[in-house]
Amino acid sequence: MSAADRTVEHVTCLGCGCACDDITVVVQRGRLTDAKQACALGVAWFGDGRVPDEIRINGREGTLERALAEAAKILTGAKHSLVYLAGDISCEAQRDAVGIADRLKGAIDSLAGSGAAGVLAAQRRGRAGATLGEIRQHSDLVVFWGVDPGARYPRYSSRYAVDPLGLAAPVGRRSRRVIAVDVGEARGPADADGRVAIPPDAELDALGAMRALVQGRPVGKDARFGAAVGLVQDMAKARYVAVVADAEPGPTPADPDRAEALIALAQALNGPTRCALSTLRGGGNRSGADAVLTWQTGFPFAVDFGRGYPTYRPHAGAAERLAGGEVDAALVIGTPGTLPDAVARGLANVSTIAFGSRASAAGFKPVVAVDTGVAGIHEGGTAFRMDDVPLPLRPAFDGETRSAAATVRALRELLERGA
Amino acid sequence: MTTPVRLRIAGGTVYDPANGVDGVVGDVCVEGDRIVAELPAGAPRLDVRGMVVMPGGVDIHAHVAGSSVNHARRLLPEEHGADPAPAPQLVDGPSARSGTGGTVPSTFATGYRYAGLGYTTVMEAAVAPLAARHAHAELDDTPIIDSGFYVLLGNDDYLLRQIAAGETARARDYAGWLLGVTRAYAIKIVNPGGVAVWKGGGRNLSGLDDAVGSSAVTPRKILETLAGAANALTLPHPVHIHCNNLGQAGNSATTLESMRALAGQRAHFTHLQFHSYGGERGKGWQSAAKDVIEYVNDHAEVSVDVGQVMFGSATTVTADSPVEHLLYTSTGRKWVNVDIELETGCGIVPYSYREKAAVAALQWAVGLELFLLAKDPWRVVLSTDHPNGGTFLSYPELIRLLMDRAYRDDRLKGVNQKLLRDSALLEGLTREYTLGEIAIVTRAGPARLLGLRQKGHLGPGADADVTVYAPQADRAKMFAAPRYVIKGGTTVVEEGQLRRAPAGARLAVRPDYDVAVKKDVKRFFDDYATVAFENYGAEP
Repeated sequence: MSAADRTVEHVTCLGCGCACDDITVVVQRGRLTDAKQACALGVAWFGDGRVPDEIRINGREGTLERALAEAAKILTGAKHSLVYLAGDISCEAQRDAVGIADRLKGAIDSLAGSGAAGVLAAQRRGRAGATLGEIRQHSDLVVFWGVDPGARYPRYSSRYAVDPLGLAAPVGRRSRRVIAVDVGEARGPADADGRVAIPPDAELDALGAMRALVQGRPVGKDARFGAAVGLVQDMAKARYVAVVADAEPGPTPADPDRAEALIALAQALNGPTRCALSTLRGGGNRSGADAVLTWQTGFPFAVDFGRGYPTYRPHAGAAERLAGGEVDAALVIGTPGTLPDAVARGLANVSTIAFGSRASAAGFKPVVAVDTGVAGIHEGGTAFRMDDVPLPLRPAFDGETRSAAATVRALRELLERGA
Repeated sequence: MTTPVRLRIAGGTVYDPANGVDGVVGDVCVEGDRIVAELPAGAPRLDVRGMVVMPGGVDIHAHVAGSSVNHARRLLPEEHGADPAPAPQLVDGPSARSGTGGTVPSTFATGYRYAGLGYTTVMEAAVAPLAARHAHAELDDTPIIDSGFYVLLGNDDYLLRQIAAGETARARDYAGWLLGVTRAYAIKIVNPGGVAVWKGGGRNLSGLDDAVGSSAVTPRKILETLAGAANALTLPHPVHIHCNNLGQAGNSATTLESMRALAGQRAHFTHLQFHSYGGERGKGWQSAAKDVIEYVNDHAEVSVDVGQVMFGSATTVTADSPVEHLLYTSTGRKWVNVDIELETGCGIVPYSYREKAAVAALQWAVGLELFLLAKDPWRVVLSTDHPNGGTFLSYPELIRLLMDRAYRDDRLKGVNQKLLRDSALLEGLTREYTLGEIAIVTRAGPARLLGLRQKGHLGPGADADVTVYAPQADRAKMFAAPRYVIKGGTTVVEEGQLRRAPAGARLAVRPDYDVAVKKDVKRFFDDYATVAFENYGAEP
């Protein structure tokens, strides 16, 4: 081992929304050689810790000072700017980025917009939820609604909802019953204790019938959702039910009204029993972006400062604005590879500044690109788990790479000085 | 630099009750961020002749930052859309930020609006330890005001285990560790044991001796353990208690029993109005304010804030999640519940208090009775449990109700009187608060109860937090728009306009405790928690 070789414990992984904070990272000869406990997705997210370190202005190498000056010029010269919070940045970077959008009277959106259907449903109805630890401690019945977390949230079951022992689940997995609800092709986990199949076109009716039954309202007999009605009778008899659903878009689009129907069911089950709906969110600290935008503006995503104060345009997020030609300059903060396709496509047509890991290699050809590290690997700060639990970031390469948070801060200060 | 290094606030009528000054014309001298006894004759002067000078306001109990408050913000886009808060025109210092208001404003708007009311210190009253890091980040984005928070402890899985095992010393050390690691200011108990029962699949508790899992764990034991811990750790503020049975008819019996359980020990009972109802659950409501305030009056170790209900829009947001479930089922409005790992829950229901609604009118009256029957204003201080009973922007209206009997009686005529038959208010309470008493219940009293020796007064060495009001017969108007607010020596409000917004300081304690407890807590985390012991709390 060389002097610089090291092991960092209790590292938080942002590879998915699980934000597992039990990773031990090993660095040898300047490379990240091991991420113990991490799943395959996490191992890929950590990589070998090496990231490019380039600054490009109009395709040519430049200094940070010139890059920031050029970025400020482009953004202050724009009529309709957009700040986009991509993945792998800390809440500290996000907080300054919202300040930039406020100053520019621009729009701001983030990866949190990917789960818009669920956020909007919760704004209409509220939510019956829990942090993941409470599901671990108390749930005796876990219902996976059209999702197998194994694919996109690999350690969700082993760390949180199913396997670990809890205060009221003394033997872990065997203290709980797991039910998979298969909605067409969207199937629950293969190793569930029971399965219920619902045709996609009957899903909303099934959720409505389940809720009606819980509320003691009449429910007709219908073969399409007979099994769902049986399931809800079991749910009402459990001590603490967790319903798990994916808030991120999947290969088969979910019914846009599913999110609200699930919330309504979970709320209604808090009569006969206790119930928490656990919505699975993706990684990169998108939940942090949602939290930061909410506390600074009052709205969780798709915010417009054009009137000199925040307004909410949930149906005019970054993708829609870019597609509609409503943006003439954009500032993207975070790893370009985490951008939704529609946003990345739209950015190709506007003057874009990119600060983030591998910004210089972004497919949308930024006018100004400043490579930075990845939050949690190269810089510290705070990130939020999918259940809004804040966690510290413990970078294995702290201070060795240009920090995204410091770069955003520097641009913000430059903009403030310039006005 | 326009920030004054020295400033003589000259010729105002000064109300500084902590120093025995009750409406005396004089000067208040500021040097740097402190009050000083005297300044050279040539020091810059702010002529405030004819105006009222008080220390900056101190809010002992409000919900302004953290995960529950942010859930409430996220739930209320319609309120935020309706109440835009453009960035103020600041003359120097940090860049001004825009935001939104409503009952749960964005962070920057919260700081600006509090300062605009003359408040310079605010305590966030309920933070889940799991989300302490979040609360600090929000407070960092809340300008001007000095702030701190109370960390929730009273339904904590580890704590309840220690109580069950009779490990009082370990429970105390755990509290000491938790306060330090979360950078909190005080211990908060919400519905002791009741939230744990709700989270475990039950409903709630109703009595002080109900079992929480183990028969050795009861609300009474939790209160005794944590009040003892706060006093043994010599915290500046005693344990801050939200009793069982909030909002229930007949709950005054529980409130009084809780007070008696801690007789002889310092304890602060919060939003007392919500815990001072007579009658019987399911049968009827009446005021029990007289009984409750009589106990408070007779027991110098007890302090309270009132938690006044104000007519209009509110948002109920509390760690008392079983209560919010009841409110949801009775109102049918949108509802958030979040069960939180290790300690506490979160419940939110938007609400409005209407003059014509019998229960709301009773709540309004009970709060005023508590204020008007209180013998010692130093121990009965002002709050609306923002945003639960009303927002902090309603404080000026509340001050008017306390100071202006004719106005109060007039308002009383307009409310539903169905449940007011036992209310002292209806019997006729003639008391009118003086400006000196208002200075006690809004700054000197809360500062003293918090153990903030440098706050709430204008003696030499105090923080230079000063508010200057132009007197008006309409006290609501007077208190809604101070002419000048000086925070830590910086003039933040000038001629009624917000002009500067420096960052506020964080108020936190770091008590001594036996660090041996950490080993045991870590073992518990390793067995049960989804967050690493090392990542819990909010240490930088």
